[in-house]
Amino acid sequence: MTTFVFCSYILNYYFYYCGYFVTVIFLLVRFSRLTAMDNEMCSLKRQLEEKEKEIAALRSKLAARVEKASELKIQDKVTTLNPLTAKPSLSNEDIMRYSRQLLLPDLGVQGQLKLSQTSVLVVGCGGLGCPLAQYLAAAGIGRLGLLDYDEVELSNLHRQVLHGEENQGQAKALSAARSVIRLNSGVECIPYHLQLSPENALQLVQQYDIVADCSDNVPTRYLVNDACVLSGKPLVSASALRMEGQLTVYNYHGGPCYRCLYPVPPPPETVTNCSDGGVLGVVPGIMGCLQALEVLKIASGQGTACGQQLLLFDAQNARFRSIRLRPKQPSCVVCGEIPSVTRLVDYEAFCGSAATDKCRKLNLLSKDQRITVQDYKSIRDSTGPHILLDVRPLVEVEICSLPSSLNIPLSSLEEKKSKDIQLLQEKISQVKQQMAGDQQAPVYVVCKLGNDSQKAVQLLEKMSGEEVDGITVKDISGGLMAWAKMIDPSFPRY
Amino acid sequence: MNTVSVIYFGQSAELTGLKGEELVSVPTPISSRELWELLQQRHPRLAVLRGHVVLAVAQQYIPIAEQLVVLRDGDEVAVVPPLSGG
Ligand SMILES: [Zn+2]
Repeated sequence: MTTFVFCSYILNYYFYYCGYFVTVIFLLVRFSRLTAMDNEMCSLKRQLEEKEKEIAALRSKLAARVEKASELKIQDKVTTLNPLTAKPSLSNEDIMRYSRQLLLPDLGVQGQLKLSQTSVLVVGCGGLGCPLAQYLAAAGIGRLGLLDYDEVELSNLHRQVLHGEENQGQAKALSAARSVIRLNSGVECIPYHLQLSPENALQLVQQYDIVADCSDNVPTRYLVNDACVLSGKPLVSASALRMEGQLTVYNYHGGPCYRCLYPVPPPPETVTNCSDGGVLGVVPGIMGCLQALEVLKIASGQGTACGQQLLLFDAQNARFRSIRLRPKQPSCVVCGEIPSVTRLVDYEAFCGSAATDKCRKLNLLSKDQRITVQDYKSIRDSTGPHILLDVRPLVEVEICSLPSSLNIPLSSLEEKKSKDIQLLQEKISQVKQQMAGDQQAPVYVVCKLGNDSQKAVQLLEKMSGEEVDGITVKDISGGLMAWAKMIDPSFPRY
Repeated sequence: MNTVSVIYFGQSAELTGLKGEELVSVPTPISSRELWELLQQRHPRLAVLRGHVVLAVAQQYIPIAEQLVVLRDGDEVAVVPPLSGG
């Protein structure tokens, strides 16, 4: 009995202690779990605090950007700007941002500070102006005036690299300014959505230190030149077409101005623009970059070697040539010794063309020598025998053409190439065979916009009775682009 | 008498249908006006550029005038009308 009591006593103790240990272990485990959770919570809290700090920093950065972007007020007229404030030194952020160029002995801190105090007027935000503005902003130029009268179109995007698909229809000046601000919010950007004119050019040019001519037409080139000469500003000028580019710095340290080199503007019919002649996007890209380089060298005080030389870029053969130019000409009408141009004049009248690169509309023919695209549609529908003569260059015919057209480029007609004339004669006699009696074969001439087709009609009428005979020639007014617009919306436009 | 190579840029390449050509037996010295007329004789369509073109001999600008130019064998003559596109 006592043994039993003793045993049960021991067991009791045993169980008691076991229970005690289990409880202690249970509590210990719980406690350590709690400490782990506490630690985790602390670390999460810390992380959260860090993230909150980051978010706050991002918020203020975003607010600064939004404020900066909303500051981008598009200017439709020239206003007076506050002078650029001189920076006494570079901030830590400046030093980090520009470190790779600060390391260049040619630039250095002093050069960087000079850049930040320089304002540049970019005339034209197209194929040259986009890369130029991009590199000037990236390098930390102080102020950029971005001028363009035009809006972004789909056919611009292959070369005007600051504009995106979503910017179509927007003012180029604003679209370019927004891209530039995104790249470097420290640059002051002023978008001008206006046409540079003899009325506003001087007031505008006077407010900038350097002018970059990135325009696309002859009258604007003379206007910008004269405004720079009259206000004593260096003009960094580039141009590009097809597979060629040119670069010169005018009106700089005794060098020539544009008029010293080209006193008389070229006849408008000899000028090809990008929408007529085409251009590979990277060619103005390269020329705009070279322009940026010269602007940066002038702005940072290194000077330029292009003040008395014409740099030619031949993209086809990957060759640069530079032609040494004469100093400025004493006989120059604007920068010479006795200038006759002492204020801005009418440059469209002087050049005989409009200050745009939009195709001009020729009017060479009388009303009865032309038909509308609607008229031609009914002729096609009635299936009457006729010749549709497409006088565009082969490269354009390959883009699109109307079925059953005969292609003889205007240049071949002008040169009276015997192979092409023979082809035309054969076609004329075919059509005549299809027609009753001794009627004249109708020839309808078409091109892209209705300019070359008018020239071709004049040419064919001159050839009548000699190279070609028995035809009536008419031009399709407005060309294939009018056809695409009015008759067949599925016809490609270019 | 010398052989020079002529390089045509922009509109002048279009008007002549050539990027460049060799001119043999060019008299030297020659006035730059005569040199231009020589080119114009070969390519009459170049006439429209007269007065609106930069002529360079051996990478040096030459005004089209009575000034005499000495041509060395192999010299490059560049015909450079202005480009206005951008
Ligand atoms: Zn001048």
